Amino acid sequence: MRTLSCSVYRNGLTPLLCILLGTSVLSAHHSFAAQYDADKPITLTGTVVRIEWTNPHFHFYVDVKDEKGAVTQWTFEGYPPNMLVRQGWKKDVSLKPGMTVTVQGWRARVEPNLVAAREVTFADGSKLTSGPPAGTGGQ
Amino acid sequence: MAIAIAAACLTGAPGAQGQTKAKPAPRAANGKPDLSGIWIATGALRLMAGEAEVAAARQSDIDEGRPTPRTEPPPYKPEAEKQRQYFLDRRGIDDPMARCLISGVPRISFRPLPFQILQMADQMVFLYETHHAFRVIPTDGRPHPEDMEPSYLGDSVAHWEGDTLVVDVTGFNTKTWLIGVGTVHSENLRVTERYTRDSYNTIRYQATMDDPDVFTKPWNAEEIFRLRPGERIREYECIENNEDLQRIEKLLQNESVFKRPSN
Repeated sequence: MRTLSCSVYRNGLTPLLCILLGTSVLSAHHSFAAQYDADKPITLTGTVVRIEWTNPHFHFYVDVKDEKGAVTQWTFEGYPPNMLVRQGWKKDVSLKPGMTVTVQGWRARVEPNLVAAREVTFADGSKLTSGPPAGTGGQ
Repeated sequence: MAIAIAAACLTGAPGAQGQTKAKPAPRAANGKPDLSGIWIATGALRLMAGEAEVAAARQSDIDEGRPTPRTEPPPYKPEAEKQRQYFLDRRGIDDPMARCLISGVPRISFRPLPFQILQMADQMVFLYETHHAFRVIPTDGRPHPEDMEPSYLGDSVAHWEGDTLVVDVTGFNTKTWLIGVGTVHSENLRVTERYTRDSYNTIRYQATMDDPDVFTKPWNAEEIFRLRPGERIREYECIENNEDLQRIEKLLQNESVFKRPSN
């Protein structure tokens, strides 16, 4: 679907400048829409097991218990380190094994326990952005 | 969604345009505007700095009477448009960037990471955090070299037209997308970029993409780059742990998993 847009501006300025824009310049995750499903948001709470502070995405692994007590390990993917630090993250400080976190994101299309992580909420209620909003794959 | 945005466009308050005088651009020793600084595209500011900064940037444009940047739909010939639609239907899985290949011009300027411009008397150096890429752009009147090989960022030479730096870029390979998903081009692509530092905090950017092999007419894109005081170019490494590569291979085995449903 092609959407009517005002480039990066939606409010104010002249209607004449509202144009039909057929491209997206905002997607940050490489081919997000192919790998993740924006229609499958998910929020999970669990215990951090491991962190990979790597490029082009960081990953962290969280053990999540279901209501029956069974534990499943979920993989979360987010920004690379250069973006994380700009969101306020500190390597080995913000996120450590053993921490309880709640992560909001979107599920992968294929891998059952993989999530593009948008935001992490920590035990004290503080939050850090961990990845981009869901991409649409161009339109 | 489209209707809501259109309505916002049509009913948006006109605002009090041009009421604030912008801080003027600094000048280089030769009298030309000095583009030196660390910049980021407005469209990318939301990811890097959040909505509040985007709103502040938009407001400053209204206050200072800065025209809204506009990007036309790509004027593709039918065959090239078919190619673009193919890539869109595949939700961008073929994006060269997902394979860690350098973005071309102008796409690299729209990425959600900053870039630094270093202006010297006879050349400009652009340092992009994205891909850790760089462009060295002579401004001393020399032509493009004769031994150009097709490349991702092409070859750039520039000159000044008044207060606007005009960069002529050619010598591209065909392994990049121009701006968005599937925006293909040929080796005959020529990009003309115009950088106008119209205030201390802003550069108005225009890119004209001319490629008679794929377009019915040149394609124009515009953006405003914002100065990022206190920012620095950090490291960008792409291939270290790019799990996208394996995941994409897996997805490609069953296209129905990721392709848009056909109408």
